[in-house]
Amino acid sequence: MGKGVHVQELPGIGKRYDIDLGTPDQRISVVVRSGGIRDLYVFASNSADPTAVIELTEEQARKVGAVLAQTFFES
Amino acid sequence: MHVDLVGLGAVVLLAGLVARAGRRVGLPSIPCYMVVGILFGPGTPGPVLVEHPEDLAVLAALGLVLLLFHLGVEFPAEQVLGSGRRLFIAAGFYIGLNVSAGFLLGLALGWGTAEAMVIAGALGISSSAIATKLLIELHRLTNAETPVILGIIVIEDLFLAFYLALLAPVLSDSESPLELVRDIAISFGFLLALFAIARYGARAVGTLLGTREDELLAVLVVGLVALVAGLSEQVGVSDAIGALLIGLVVSRTSLQERVERLVLPLRDVFAAVFFVVFGLSIDVGELGGVAVPAIIAAAVTLVVNLTAGLVTARLFGFNQRGAVNVGLTILGRGEFSLILATLAIAAGLDPRIGPFVALYVLILAIVSPLLASQSQVLARRVPDWLLRRGWHYVREQTISTSCTHLDQIRITETDIDVCSDCVELGDSWVELRLCTSCGAVGCCDDSPNKHASAHARSTAHPIIEALVPGDRWRYCYLDETLVRAPMRRAQSAG
Repeated sequence: MGKGVHVQELPGIGKRYDIDLGTPDQRISVVVRSGGIRDLYVFASNSADPTAVIELTEEQARKVGAVLAQTFFES
Repeated sequence: MHVDLVGLGAVVLLAGLVARAGRRVGLPSIPCYMVVGILFGPGTPGPVLVEHPEDLAVLAALGLVLLLFHLGVEFPAEQVLGSGRRLFIAAGFYIGLNVSAGFLLGLALGWGTAEAMVIAGALGISSSAIATKLLIELHRLTNAETPVILGIIVIEDLFLAFYLALLAPVLSDSESPLELVRDIAISFGFLLALFAIARYGARAVGTLLGTREDELLAVLVVGLVALVAGLSEQVGVSDAIGALLIGLVVSRTSLQERVERLVLPLRDVFAAVFFVVFGLSIDVGELGGVAVPAIIAAAVTLVVNLTAGLVTARLFGFNQRGAVNVGLTILGRGEFSLILATLAIAAGLDPRIGPFVALYVLILAIVSPLLASQSQVLARRVPDWLLRRGWHYVREQTISTSCTHLDQIRITETDIDVCSDCVELGDSWVELRLCTSCGAVGCCDDSPNKHASAHARSTAHPIIEALVPGDRWRYCYLDETLVRAPMRRAQSAG
């Protein structure tokens, strides 16, 4: 995996990707469950509890991913 | 042949509806299925949907077999075996404490030694399904203790295989000690044979099942699983262990992912039937007689789990919240307890085991999500000395505040950008560390000379700060803990 992304195996659930955003109070973790569902954990403060957790289906995750990666051009 | 589709359909539909309603208030589904079975079974006054639970015996057996088969298929052998000694020690403690507490309680009940062994397993092995769901629903997947919790659960599954092998001969009606020894030998021999197939014969099994069509793969797999489970039953090992091991075999073939995906819905449906049928066999009148032992058992499990949680936290350096989270998340009991109770009843042991385990599972199923979601309340009440001297747990905080020397931080900025000791020696360094007590700058522990650590040792100045732009983490030498974690490790306990 690329630099700044830490992968953690979660046996029985899937894989967790911790994305280092370079600032101490902002973090994003994505859990990809083996069933395909993604849990998006957003940390916007120094607290260990996530600010928001969003459950995305595979389809929804693709949509968000496309927008984030700017491969989505429909205006 | 008499087929009661109305009864089956009604009871399964109701089970699904009750489980859906239960989900809204955070209840796991297994006890919901069971309760529907109890309420609409012949042993309870009121409407009876299934008059003869034994008509559903084949479906229930298939549910049990598929449950264990799927467990074997998804068993992450490489991950677990490569996960290090600490996890095995933690899991060993958890299983050892829980199983021995269960065994002692079983003996104290005075129902018999074989019964005590079944109770030991039913009380000792937690529900993977309940714990996993709890972690997802409580948003704890990024917590530091979560991979440890999942690891313990997986090792428990492995333990279950050995426990079933040990239990099978005890449950069979062997007369003499010699017969018992022979049965244990057969049982473990069978286990070894299947392990050998898993190790060396996976390719043959893969060829036997291999097909591109999902339809045929599902048919072939279910046939093979049922056959192996049935054969194991006939040689005196339980069908449960046969199913679990053939699952392990399949998990080593290239078909693993597809089989896991195809079998999942089958498992869910037939497992629900299994839990409902277990409930159907319970006479509600018998629950009263086992209420006191079941409540005591639940209380013992709670205490033992919290103890195991503390041991795990000490091993892994978690704080109070991590310790309590470990203990309370693995508190739920479900599928394995009911499987063991079913095996015991089928073997003709004391029939009180059925209602006893049913009630015990029910109590913990309600208590476990409630307690786990409130773990921070309990965490505040755990005294600091239980985890580690000198650490102070601050409410809502992560491991970072367990350092007690924050008052000694005086200097947090510096213009120095060299390790002067290394410059004198003519050596190089990797990263720089700032002593927050006196401002001295030295090289890190990845550098050849480790001057920052040497400085801390000679002066007893506790906290250093990493001089890394954008990531100024701190570490306390006296408390051996991170004060502010580096970002890649920032997902500490919570």
